[in-house]
Amino acid sequence: MRIAELIRKSTTSLLTAAIVFGSVTVFAQDETNEAPVKERPARAAFESGLLFDAATTTLQPSKTLEMIIQHRFGTMDNGVTDLFGIWAPSNIRLGLNYSILDNLTVGLGTTKFNKMQDIQIKYNVLQQTRSNKIPVTISLYEVIGIDGSADDKFGIEYKFSHRMSYFSQIIVSRRFNDMFSLQIAPGFTHYNSIDSTMDHERISISFAGRIKFSPQSSVIIGGDFPLQIQAISEHTKEFNDNAEKIKPNLSIGVEVATSTHAFHMYIASAQGILPQEDIMFNKNDFFKSGILIGLNITRLWNF
Amino acid sequence: MKNSVKLISIFGAAFFFLSISLSMAQKPGAAWVVPAKYKSMKSTIKAGDASINSTGKELYNKNCKSCHGSKGLGDGPKAASLKTSTGDFSSAKFQAYSDGELYYMSFVGRDEMPNFEKKITDESDRWAVVYYMRTLKK
Repeated sequence: MRIAELIRKSTTSLLTAAIVFGSVTVFAQDETNEAPVKERPARAAFESGLLFDAATTTLQPSKTLEMIIQHRFGTMDNGVTDLFGIWAPSNIRLGLNYSILDNLTVGLGTTKFNKMQDIQIKYNVLQQTRSNKIPVTISLYEVIGIDGSADDKFGIEYKFSHRMSYFSQIIVSRRFNDMFSLQIAPGFTHYNSIDSTMDHERISISFAGRIKFSPQSSVIIGGDFPLQIQAISEHTKEFNDNAEKIKPNLSIGVEVATSTHAFHMYIASAQGILPQEDIMFNKNDFFKSGILIGLNITRLWNF
Repeated sequence: MKNSVKLISIFGAAFFFLSISLSMAQKPGAAWVVPAKYKSMKSTIKAGDASINSTGKELYNKNCKSCHGSKGLGDGPKAASLKTSTGDFSSAKFQAYSDGELYYMSFVGRDEMPNFEKKITDESDRWAVVYYMRTLKK
C-alpha cells in the first residue's frame, strides 16, 4: 500500500514538475544568443490523440478544439440474439479537448456507464525529431474520473472523494517511418473507493501501433495489460490467486483520417472507455467471445 | 387546345429547372490577391525532393483530395457542394502560378478554401504538397 501511494505521488509530482520545468526551459532557450540549428519535429506518430480508448502522443496545435464521440456496443457472445452486441446495452463517451499550447491539451468528458465524468490533461515532454537526435516522443497523461452513481454505491460512510479515480501514464512513441508507428505506455490507476475484494491500485502497461496501408487508412492495434503485482496488493497471494482475473483490453481495427476527422472502426474486449475503468474492471476475454464492436469519431476545429 | 396546354407546361417546367440549375452552378473564383511576401517566397525543399511523392502525396490525399479530386481536376466528392469552382490543377493556368502564389492559395486560403496552416504545420511538408500539385500537370 505504501509503495503504491509512493508511486501515485511520484507520478503526480513528475507531471507537475515536467510542466513547470518545461516552461522554464522554453524561457531559458529564448535568452541564449547563439542561434541553434533548428531541429524539425517528426510528423506525428498517430493521426489522432485518441486510439481506441487510449491516448497517443499526438497533440493538436494550440487553439484547436477537438470533439470526441466514443461508442462501444455490447459483447458479441450472445450471437445473433442481440445482433452480435449491437442491440445490447452500449457505452458512450462524449468528450471535448482543447489545446492550450502546442504541447498541452486539456479535456472534459462524460461517459454513460457509472455516469463517469472525466478531466484529462496531456503534456508533451519531448518531441521526436526528423534527424533522430531525439528518437521518441514522450507525453504525460492524466485522467481524473468522477463517478456520478448514487451515493449508496460508495458504502455507509459516503464522502465525495470516494467517487474519484485517477489514471496516470507516461507514453513513449516512435514514428519509425511513414507507415509504421509504435507506442508503449506504463500506467498507474488508483480508485479512492473500490470493492473490498479488489486493490485500490493497479499498475499496467499499454501498447499501441499502426500500419498505414493508404494515405488515409491504417490498421491499428492496441492493448492494455493490467499487472497483478503482489508487492502493492492489499490481499494475500492465495486470495489473489483464487480471485477472478482482470483481463487485458485488446483492440484491433481500422483508422481512416482526414484533415479534420479520425474514424476508428474496431473490435475490442473492454467496454469501460475510460482507461482506469478498462484496466481496473475488464473481465471480458478477447479470445473467449468477450469482444465487442467499437466506433470512435473525432472532429477538429482550429481557431 | 389540350396539346397546347401540355406543350406550354413542358416548356414552363423546362425553363424553371434550367433557371434553378443555372443559379446553382458553380462560379469561378475571383482573381487571387497574393501579398508580395508570399509571391516571392522560396521553397525550403528542392524540386525532385524524395518527400514530394511520399509526404506531399500523402498530405494532398489526406487534406485536399476530398474537394480537389485525386488528380486535381476539381472532382472530389465534396466539390459539388461548394459555391466556387475548385479549379483544375492540371491546367496551364494553374501551373503558371509561382510556387509562392500556390503556397499562399493552398495554406492561407480564403472564403471556401480553408486555412491549412494548422493542419500541415511543417514548412517543408507544405512545400512538398505544392510540388506534388506540380506533378498533376497534364
